Amino acid sequence: MNGKPKIGVYVCHCGTNIAGTVNVEEVVQFAQTLPDVVVARNYSYMCSDPGQALITDDIANMGLNRVVVASCSPRMHEPTFRKTLLSGGLNPYFLEMANIREQCSWVHDDPIAATEKAKRVVEAAVVKARRLEALDVKEVEVEPSCLIIGAGIAGIQAALDIADAGFKVYLVEKSPTVGGHMAQLDKTFPTLDCSACILTPKMVDVANHPNIELMTYSQVEEIGGYIGNFDIKVRKKSRFVDMDKCTGCGACAEECRMAGRIPNEFDEGIGMRGAIYLPFPQAVPAKYTIDKENCLFLSKGKCGESPKCKEACQAGAINFDLQDEVVEFKVGTIIVATGFDIFDARLKPEYGYGVYDNVLTALEFERMVNASGPTGGKVVMLERGKKKKKKEGEEAEAPRMPRSVTFIQCVGSRDKSVGNEYCSRVCCMYTAKLAHLVKDKVGHDCEVTIFYMDVRAFGKGFEEFYDRVRREGVKYIRGNPSEIYKKGDKLIVRAEDTLTATPLEHETDMVVLSVGLCPRSDNREIIDLLKLSQSSDLFYLEAHPKLRPVDTASDGIYLAGVCQGPKDIPDAVAQAKGAASAAMIPMASGKVKVEAQTSVVNEDTCRGCGFCVELCPFSAIELVEINRMGWPVKVARVNEALCKGCGACAAACLSGSIQQRSFKDLQLMPQIKALGVK
Amino acid sequence: MVDVNKLREKAKEVVSRDDVRMLIGYRPGTYGFRARPAFVQGPDEVDELIFTPACVNNLASYIVLEEKLPVPRGEEPDLRKVAVMVKGCDSRALVQQMEEKAYDRERILVLGIPCTGVVDMAKVEARFPNVLERGEIALEGDKFVLSTGGGKEEVAKEELLADKCLRCRYPTPLVYDELLDAEVARFADDDYSDIVELEKRAGAEKWAYWEEKFSRCIRCYSCRNVCPMCYCEDCVLERLNPQWMRRSVDVSENTAYHISRAYHLAGRCIQCGECQRVCPVDIPLMELNRKFYKDVEELYDYEPGTNAENPPLLSTFKVDDREDFIL
Repeated sequence: MNGKPKIGVYVCHCGTNIAGTVNVEEVVQFAQTLPDVVVARNYSYMCSDPGQALITDDIANMGLNRVVVASCSPRMHEPTFRKTLLSGGLNPYFLEMANIREQCSWVHDDPIAATEKAKRVVEAAVVKARRLEALDVKEVEVEPSCLIIGAGIAGIQAALDIADAGFKVYLVEKSPTVGGHMAQLDKTFPTLDCSACILTPKMVDVANHPNIELMTYSQVEEIGGYIGNFDIKVRKKSRFVDMDKCTGCGACAEECRMAGRIPNEFDEGIGMRGAIYLPFPQAVPAKYTIDKENCLFLSKGKCGESPKCKEACQAGAINFDLQDEVVEFKVGTIIVATGFDIFDARLKPEYGYGVYDNVLTALEFERMVNASGPTGGKVVMLERGKKKKKKEGEEAEAPRMPRSVTFIQCVGSRDKSVGNEYCSRVCCMYTAKLAHLVKDKVGHDCEVTIFYMDVRAFGKGFEEFYDRVRREGVKYIRGNPSEIYKKGDKLIVRAEDTLTATPLEHETDMVVLSVGLCPRSDNREIIDLLKLSQSSDLFYLEAHPKLRPVDTASDGIYLAGVCQGPKDIPDAVAQAKGAASAAMIPMASGKVKVEAQTSVVNEDTCRGCGFCVELCPFSAIELVEINRMGWPVKVARVNEALCKGCGACAAACLSGSIQQRSFKDLQLMPQIKALGVK
Repeated sequence: MVDVNKLREKAKEVVSRDDVRMLIGYRPGTYGFRARPAFVQGPDEVDELIFTPACVNNLASYIVLEEKLPVPRGEEPDLRKVAVMVKGCDSRALVQQMEEKAYDRERILVLGIPCTGVVDMAKVEARFPNVLERGEIALEGDKFVLSTGGGKEEVAKEELLADKCLRCRYPTPLVYDELLDAEVARFADDDYSDIVELEKRAGAEKWAYWEEKFSRCIRCYSCRNVCPMCYCEDCVLERLNPQWMRRSVDVSENTAYHISRAYHLAGRCIQCGECQRVCPVDIPLMELNRKFYKDVEELYDYEPGTNAENPPLLSTFKVDDREDFIL
């Protein structure tokens, strides 16, 4: 099949994209003079059906065995033309593309110089094409199961879709309950659906679905393998409560000596819990968990005479000897849905968060307005750090409701000073929603003011909702406050109304900081496990911002939800459904093609230094011992199923012993020479 | 100074061991004040061994350069340890070789020599030209004592000391099984003043400087052959297919050779200075290598050959690696 090269060169006009600058006729005439070129043609759109037919006809009639297409970047159309070669009966890797659009016509104005450059680029492709080799496209079997990391709304939705399609799902969640941040919310904008009402049925579904194996309070520890055959190791942390016996009655939590003394993470610290706890009443699974850092018995070895929770448990579910359990399984695909952290408002010290009791983050406020939250849905002035247990019979002083609430938008978003240039996309609307809820729950006479930079009401029903909230008497002031300080029992927000260029000092009872969404602080763990990339905002990077928004650079690994970038609930759900369907493609077909342009090691010259092993972003290379003329020596070996053909190893190899197929030194050097000074 | 009797005794003990194949050490040269490597295979060969300030060679190179002849069918390869004497600087070559997995730690037995400095043989020969009879160099206090049959002469230490010793940060070996003398505390440091001077030059001036140096190169490959870090079985710079550089001796190909070699040593050169020492046409190769060494230290806070547990610098990537210098 390799034979003497017979090359066809096809120069694309790309409408006027190329032909407007480059004289394609002249390039074709030049190409005809190059060694081994049998035919050279030009056509308005090579990627069109008639364009591709030119190639297949020439393969059939002229016996071409190499094809050079001079057109656009290979990123889009290399797969197109590989298929053309395949349909013409050639090995698809006998294609070489010359990029005369992005790297020539689009970046040059002078037609004469651009045409000369296009000739060089075509010549370089021709000399490389002469040395191309046929490559085998290998297939691997795909395990019909999926690991989903994170059980917030995105993870839950993806799990349900995949499980409903009949594939096995392992849903791993770090915290004791599924639900994620959505479970913390009261109402959702712009429709004011109750978050719990729409989420909890799905939470119950993932727990009960026959195809879903739910692992809460668990963490993925190791991921090996490749698309179709990932090896997963998950640590199920001990809850010290027997999941099979616990009925979720809550008798234990009432008796815990630490009850009401530990800030409940789920309530953002506004509410308290004990050492044995259920994060919230609708938690799934409805099983209690002992937090071993705070449990007196587990951390100090002593809890009064004996642990009261254990005495209280009628089911005998509490067992302090329970150990972590490590489970191992195989999956074909992985969806990462690890969500986000909210911006740490302490990084904006001018707003006094953590200093003043009644400067809250929006998520704290959200817990407060939530009917199942720590205040039962009442908006009240907070006295932090003064939480004491109510004595028997003593009537607590009724907490005061604020008479005015002020929101500040873009806290930690669109703010270079904290390193977050991006817009968090949800704060404008959740602020409007919370403002509405203040009017609703505290009363219409409660004054609500929102400081904003811009209001971005871009989604379906958003603008209408924003209008509605303004009609309800919520006052919007354009300006970013510079400082908050306390005067008497009031908070003073110092700002400038930038629409009237008036400095102002705004007096208020309570300030709510509309904090943005940030990449999780523990993102690194997942990055190390999966070798994911990050975009400049440190969210996980998708394979292509427009056309592959749920894929990652690694085959078989997909992204869902805010871990890829800020999103509201419908967007997160849509992306989760997208990730689910992307993950189902290889599982449904049962086989995937793996990269053919992989690296290959010359074991005769490899010195086994392992540079490539350390460098390989896909862990595709390992050192193995071979026998070299009687001596045991270590050499690098590539796992072709894992290799993505990035070429990092080939570039780093000092002895040139590792080479990437289609990009071997022998193929590249004539190409470089053709581009060089003549 | 290492006691020579103790050295020979230790050598005898080591080469007598069943698990040691040979010991690489030093013995007097054939003329003048020079010393040369000794490959000791049995206890009866240890009597010539020495260690003096004339022992400039980095013996770590021989561990990786020793040719592995095909093992005849039916025979087992000789996998016994190789024992080697190393100074502080040389020991870093061992560390770097092990970082690069050239061999496992248990394959070598290291006799460490805490070093108070070696001479620059060119300085010695400039001062005492044409000495053909065998002579000896010893360090006494802050003076080198050079003696031949004809007499003794004392020279201030810094006059003959090798340049690398004037900047030595690691006089005591960083890896050893046994130290042959008491540890030597750091007596010098490297401020890269020579490199800073070179960096100040304008581009054209630098080019003219190196063009002149490289035009002298006769492509004998001594620099590569002596280098403890150059041990690919099939050197890419000499390969014919594909041919990265022609073998012809001209300034263009010579430049390509030296620049490529310097890049291959970036983050790996441990500054033993052997390349420059053996260059027959006095190309200041260490200026190239030291420039990279300085960059690597400043950019990544990394010194090659100081910690065998570290992966080699340029085989790793961290998200928080500095990149402000990338164009």
